[in-house]
Amino acid sequence: MRVTAVRGVTPDLVGPVWRTLPWRALAAAGILGLLVAATPLVTGGEPAPWQTLLLLRGIALIGALGLAFLLDDPARHLTAPLPTPRPVRQALRVALVTPIAALWWAAVLLLTPSASRPPVGEVTLEAVAVGVLALAAAALAVRLTDEARPGPFVAAVLLLTAVLAPLLAPEGWALFAQADDPRWPAAHDRWAVLAVGAAVAGALCGPEPLGRGARRIRGAGAPV
Amino acid sequence: MTSMTPTVSASGLSLHYGRTRALDDVSLRLTPGVTGLLGPNGAGKTTLLRVLATAVPADRGAFTVLGHDPASARGRQEVRRRLGYLPQTPGFHPDFTAFEFVDYVAILKELADRRERHREVRRVLDEVDLGDVRGRRIKKLSGGMRQRVALAAALVGDPGFLVLDEPTVGLDPEQRMRFRELIAGAGEGRTVLLSTHQTEDVAMLCHRVIVMAAGAVRFDGTPAELTARAAGRVWNSTEKDPGAKAGWRTGTGSFRNVGDPPPGAEPAEPTLEDGYLLVLDGADTEVTA
Repeated sequence: MRVTAVRGVTPDLVGPVWRTLPWRALAAAGILGLLVAATPLVTGGEPAPWQTLLLLRGIALIGALGLAFLLDDPARHLTAPLPTPRPVRQALRVALVTPIAALWWAAVLLLTPSASRPPVGEVTLEAVAVGVLALAAAALAVRLTDEARPGPFVAAVLLLTAVLAPLLAPEGWALFAQADDPRWPAAHDRWAVLAVGAAVAGALCGPEPLGRGARRIRGAGAPV
Repeated sequence: MTSMTPTVSASGLSLHYGRTRALDDVSLRLTPGVTGLLGPNGAGKTTLLRVLATAVPADRGAFTVLGHDPASARGRQEVRRRLGYLPQTPGFHPDFTAFEFVDYVAILKELADRRERHREVRRVLDEVDLGDVRGRRIKKLSGGMRQRVALAAALVGDPGFLVLDEPTVGLDPEQRMRFRELIAGAGEGRTVLLSTHQTEDVAMLCHRVIVMAAGAVRFDGTPAELTARAAGRVWNSTEKDPGAKAGWRTGTGSFRNVGDPPPGAEPAEPTLEDGYLLVLDGADTEVTA
């Protein structure tokens, strides 16, 4: 049986991994987000800029809650000790869902009233940061637990964090500034740092640890 | 004990979950054929299998599989290329067909050539008698069939070391018998480590048996040697003997007792289960905090 490197099998993995994605959670989050985004359009309301910003932040959170399920894998226990490394499988899942998430976010932005829409770049950065946080939390849950489906737990933690963060974050951080607030640029510097930090943390959670405490006995492994 | 070159060697494996000792200085070596792993719930069997399957690293100790040491990333990769693993609760993607699921596992096992891989997937599905239903979705299969899909997934790629964690749990007698045939076949030419609660499985399948309790190995030998532990320590009586370590009423109405027989007791032929009970007697049977 010919065995090749990971590079050779990754294209063949695309189809099966696509089918293993948690489509119900992703679709539920996507549809709910679009419905919320379309609310002003449907009702004919003209929301204030702060209301549109709040709406977009809420939709970004909904999308992130869907992404919290991305690394759920009911067959995890069976597929864990297989040669294709976990980071490859996780990266493939993220890569498959990223274009869809980008299209979804573009649709959300188009549905919101342009007159009160906050700067697109900055609000997109916030959405990316929240999404990456959700993925990092999911990667951490996979790393630290044996759960095949940590998604509900991750989503609950994310939701709780989203509720508590505006209340408990230091005033100086101003992550949730309004667009006309002078702290808006500094806030988005922090969003960028948060996104990069979460991405690095998520990537570090991918590889499986080789040892716990790395305390090994000299000569162990030899026939006993 | 066989003198064959070991395919799996482990030395001083220990693992703690918090303050709970799941594995306590486990050393063993496995040779081709089926080795049974017996022990009560919480004895550390699944933990040992997961460590040997590289699903979880040990705190201390080391092991090699077919000459490869999983202590390095490259070594672990080499071990995984030679490993088949059937966990206690396999889990499936229910919308996959049996063929698609085993093919997915085969891709993850780095079988890149599609034609060869599909041939291999068909081979293992035929081997576990699922050739006729390979196009059926897993959610439409019975529990026994799903278990055989998981076995096919473990067998794909012809691994040299097969780790099976209680594969016959929940199967009816006919399915268990069929599974025994499959495991016996799988044990021809490769090393199989079979965790089970069924002493009959061990008696029928295994050339060797390891008994674990409280995370440690309590017995390591042949089934005949385990049975011999109970020689002269099993007797029948009309009442349950209060001095027996274990005793139960049999179908004939008499009591079968295991332990230290009283003078004049009517001896009975020992079984592997009697030996197992006596090995466990006095041992802490659960992992300790």
